[in-house]
Amino acid sequence: MLEIKDLKVRYGNIEALHGISFTVNKGEIVTLIGSNGAGKTTTLLSLSRLPKPEAPTVVSGDILYNGESLLKVPPHEIVSKKRIALVPEGRHIFGNLTVNENLEIATYALDKGADVKAGYDQVYTLFPRLYERRKQRSESLSGGEQQMLAVGRALMSGADFIMLDEPSMGLAPVLVQDMFKAMKVMNESGMTILLIEQNARIALQFAHRGYVINTGEIVATGTGAELMQDPEVKKAYLGG
Amino acid sequence: MLPQASDLGWDGNVLGLDSWGSAELVTLAGDSVKGHFFITHYAVAGAKGATKEFIDRYNAAYGYVSSLLSVILFTVDKETGLSLLPASMSLYLFPVIIIIGGIAAGIVGLLVAIPSFKTRDDYLAIITIAVNFIIITALNNMDFVGGSRGYMGMKKVIYGMEDVFKFPYMLFWVITFAIFTVFLIRRFITSTYGKGIIAIKQDEVAAEIMSVDTNHMKLVAFMFSSGLAGISGGLFAHVIGYVNPGSFSILKSTEALVMVYLAGMGSLSGSVISAILFTILLELLRPLQIFKWVLIPLILILVMQFRPEGLMGDKELSHFFPKLKKYYKFK
Repeated sequence: MLEIKDLKVRYGNIEALHGISFTVNKGEIVTLIGSNGAGKTTTLLSLSRLPKPEAPTVVSGDILYNGESLLKVPPHEIVSKKRIALVPEGRHIFGNLTVNENLEIATYALDKGADVKAGYDQVYTLFPRLYERRKQRSESLSGGEQQMLAVGRALMSGADFIMLDEPSMGLAPVLVQDMFKAMKVMNESGMTILLIEQNARIALQFAHRGYVINTGEIVATGTGAELMQDPEVKKAYLGG
Repeated sequence: MLPQASDLGWDGNVLGLDSWGSAELVTLAGDSVKGHFFITHYAVAGAKGATKEFIDRYNAAYGYVSSLLSVILFTVDKETGLSLLPASMSLYLFPVIIIIGGIAAGIVGLLVAIPSFKTRDDYLAIITIAVNFIIITALNNMDFVGGSRGYMGMKKVIYGMEDVFKFPYMLFWVITFAIFTVFLIRRFITSTYGKGIIAIKQDEVAAEIMSVDTNHMKLVAFMFSSGLAGISGGLFAHVIGYVNPGSFSILKSTEALVMVYLAGMGSLSGSVISAILFTILLELLRPLQIFKWVLIPLILILVMQFRPEGLMGDKELSHFFPKLKKYYKFK
């Protein structure tokens, strides 16, 4: 579904990714793990094609989605045409809007006559908590609920491929478990997921396959279980 | 009447005018402010916080550039002596010309919309200030609009209209356009389009990942708001009967800004109310002359200290008087 080919990107004069390649197949959960500054978020930003001040510049390589290059696609069409949604690091929800309004704004990406109600149903079944709080201003939600909302918003935009950037960030362990279970449910209903995580243990536990990224290069790959057993990965990311 | 106009004109400060009716001035300011309100609150999609005020500044200049344009168009039919069109025509053509002025300003708005694609926040504000200076300097050096001496002749058109049929034309048109502006803005911000713009204002990254075409939206917002400012500029020129580049300095847009901050940045009805209140206040403080400009910033400081969200925040009038909802849907 998604194929990254020898991608090199830079911020200004500094090359952040030194030619990484990986693939995500339809229906998979693939995780990209690595420590701070390894290039995880950079990879995601290159994929989502956000406008200049945030996004790095692609030097060489290609990003193929269903066989077509994403490099020439404007960022808003990544969502509205390609149906790829990004759940960014730090959530970026609209704080002074209610939960419901936040979800409503996501329907901006949908075509005319799309089934909006089904979208709400899906989000609220997945996250009953959000339904309870649907009329509340989203800045008053807890961190976990805000993260749910960010994911819910991605679902509302009609995506069939979701990229999650550090969904576990700042969440209590119980909530992290909930978040990943919700992700699993989404995946079982046909969603393809690319997951960026620092919390390698839980990411590998839920993902079908994983890639380990370090200082802009892919250093290891395998199924979730394989990587969990890999002595190098164990030492570096799972605490021995 | 004409020497009077030029006397007043020479002092270069619009607020120094005493001879025109206060009522006219009130509504006029009301209108220009709605344009500004729009600019500050919605149009400056990419910018945040303090940046907005700078952008407002530049936009004011643009608006008034268009006023010159509309003035030029207008006076063609009278001032040359050989009027291109009979005076009676101006009766019908007046609103058309004002709107053409607005469209012209909208096109000029592109000048800042394009840098806004890649520049944000304070950096964008700097660009807008620079553009303001470019426009004012350019006007100062354009002889066909009188350079720094300013441009007049608009009053002749109004008199021409009054010769045909006695009627307070400017009062009528200012009020009409004020209502038209509020109507347009309200329609705009409640549309899906407008929601995209509000989204950009709040969080540009989030808007982008919600598939809002931010560049396109900024273009629309800048052009739309410049256009509205252009309309208010055109009206301004015809009420005063004289424009010069100095009228559109930072002071003018500061007034508009104060009105918006006083109102609350998210309230449409609030900004209308505060435009009226603030204009009355300006008139009341007139005897204090220059001390007025000590008091007004002071008011702004106090508002920012004790009520940073403005008088109404993002609430509409109907929030305080729910019964109004029966008569008018605010949002």
